[in-house]
Amino acid sequence: MPEPAISVRALTKSYGAVEALRGIDFEIQPGEVFGLLGPNGAGKTTTVEILEGLRPRSGGEVAVLGFDPEKQKIQLKDRIGVCLQATNMSEKIRVREALHVFSSFYRRSVDTNALLRRLQLEDKCDAFYGTLSGGQKQRLALALALLNDPALLFLDEPTSGLDAQVRAEIHGLLEQLRGEKRTILLTTHYIEEAERLCDRVAILDQGRIIAMDTPRQLQRQSRAASTIVVTCDKAFPQDRPAWPEVVNSTVDETGRTLTVVSRRAAATLVELIKWIDQKGFELLDVHLKQPTLEDVFIELTGKRLRE
Amino acid sequence: MKAYAALIGLDLRLALRQRSVLFYNYLFPLIFFAVFAEVTHGDPSVEMAQIVVMVTILGVLNNGLVGAGMRAVQEREANILRRYKVTPITAAPLLVASTIVGWILFLPLVIFLFGLAHYRYGMPWPANLGEIFFFITLGIVAFRAIGMILAAVANSTQESQIMVQLIYLPMLLLSGATLPVAMFPHWLQVVGQFLPATHLVSGMQGMMLRQETLSMQKEAIAALAMTTAVGLFVSYKLFRWEKEEKIRASAKLWIGAVLLPFVALGAWRALFPGR
Repeated sequence: MPEPAISVRALTKSYGAVEALRGIDFEIQPGEVFGLLGPNGAGKTTTVEILEGLRPRSGGEVAVLGFDPEKQKIQLKDRIGVCLQATNMSEKIRVREALHVFSSFYRRSVDTNALLRRLQLEDKCDAFYGTLSGGQKQRLALALALLNDPALLFLDEPTSGLDAQVRAEIHGLLEQLRGEKRTILLTTHYIEEAERLCDRVAILDQGRIIAMDTPRQLQRQSRAASTIVVTCDKAFPQDRPAWPEVVNSTVDETGRTLTVVSRRAAATLVELIKWIDQKGFELLDVHLKQPTLEDVFIELTGKRLRE
Repeated sequence: MKAYAALIGLDLRLALRQRSVLFYNYLFPLIFFAVFAEVTHGDPSVEMAQIVVMVTILGVLNNGLVGAGMRAVQEREANILRRYKVTPITAAPLLVASTIVGWILFLPLVIFLFGLAHYRYGMPWPANLGEIFFFITLGIVAFRAIGMILAAVANSTQESQIMVQLIYLPMLLLSGATLPVAMFPHWLQVVGQFLPATHLVSGMQGMMLRQETLSMQKEAIAALAMTTAVGLFVSYKLFRWEKEEKIRASAKLWIGAVLLPFVALGAWRALFPGR
C-alpha cells in the first residue's frame, strides 16, 4: 500500500478555551478525492489550514506528502496547490501577470499558456483582475493552484457564491482533475458537489469526525427512510395495509398517487406492488427516492449543510 | 531570486497603474515645488536648493510612510496577501520588492526636481550630486522600513492612517523641512533632534547648501542605515498576511526599536551640541 498523501492522528486545535478540533483521525490515499463536510464552525477550515501549513496545531500528528506542515512549511507549499475560499488580487493585475509572478515562487511550474487554455482564460489573459466575472476569478484561482503541477490540491469551497452555471463549469474542471488521479482535499457547502466529486467524505461536527466513508456507503448506512411514490389508474382506498417498516403513507388530492415512506424500501416496494395487483389497479408510475447525503448529514448533525 | 525580480516588476507595474500613486509621488510634490519656486524666485533670502530639499523630504515621507505603510495594510485588509501566504515564499521578497520599487518610483522625481531647479530657476548643480543621490536613497529605504513597521503593527487602514499622521506631521513641521528650525524655542529644537527626518533634512541641507560631503554626514548615515536594517528585520518578524492575524499591543513598541538610533543621535546632539 502506498504511503498516504495525508495522514492525521489525534489532531487537536484550541483557541484559548475554545476547542476547534477535538482529536480527529483520517488518511487520504494518493489519487483520492476526499471531501470534508460540516456545518459552519465545525472545524473544516481549521483542519485544512493546519494541513496547508498556515496554522499551528495544538496536538496530534500530521504528515502531508511526508512533510510536517508546521516544521517544513516551505517544502510543503512548494508541492501543494491551494484554492482559497476567501482571497483577492490587486484590481489592476493582469491575468497573465498573476500567473507569471506566482509561477516564480515555485521550483517547478507548468506552461502558463497551456494552463490559460485549459482554464478557458486564454482570451482574458490581458484583462485586469478587477474586470473578471466571479467564475473567471475562480478559474484564475484554480489556475494559480495548478501552477506548480501539485501532487496534492486543497480546494476550500471552490464554488462558494457562484451561480449554478458557473458552478457546473467548475465541476467540469474538477472532474478533469479527478480524472488525472490527483489527490484532492475538498471542503464544500454543496452536498451534490461532494456526492459527484468525492471518493470518500468525512462529516465533521463540533471538532470531531462523526462519519467517514464513500458517499454511497454513508447513504446505505443511513437510518433515514426512503420514499416510494406510486401512481395508479384508480383512487387508493383510505384503509391500506400496515406494511412492515413503513413510517408514513399519504395519498394526494387526486387520490391516485400514493407516497410511502419506508425504512426498508425494497421489501415495502414488493409488498406494495403485490397489493396493487391484488386490487386490480393498473400501475402507471413508480419512483424510489433513497436518502441523499444531505439526509445523512441532517441525520448525523441535526443541521443542514448550508446553515 | 526569481521571486524577487518578478515581485519588483509586478509592484512597479501596479504602482504605475494607480492614479493616486502618480499623483502623490510626482504631481503633488511638483505642484508644491512650482508654487514655492515661483513665489520665492528672485528673492535673494531664499535659495532654490532649500526648496529642493523641502520638496525632496516631503516626497521621502510620502513615499515611505504612505507608500509602504498604508498600502501594505490595504493589501492585507483586501485579502491580497493571503494568496501569497499559501505559496513557498517568506515575507522577505515582498518587503524587499516594496523597498526597491519605492526607490525606483522616487528617482524620476528627484531627477526632474533637480533639473527643473537648475534649468528653470538657475540653481547651480551641486558639486557632490552622486553623494546627494546616495543620501536620498538611504533616506527612502529607511523611511520605507519605518512605513513597513507601521504596516506590521497597524490592525486596520484607519489605524495605519492615524499612526502615519502621528509620525508624518511632527516630522514635517519640526525637522526643518518646511519651517526653519531656528524659529523654534530651544526645547522644540531638542525634540526635533529625535526625529529621523531632522537628520535627513540637516544632511541634505549640508550637502546642498554648504557643499558638505557624504563623509561629513556619518551620524545621519549610520542612523538611517541602522533604521533600515532594524526596520526590515522587525517588519519581517512581525509581517502579517491576514487581517485575522492580530498583533499584541506590546508589539507596537517595535516602532520605538526602529526609532532608537534617532533617539540615541538626538540625545547625543542634545547633550553635546557643538560636536
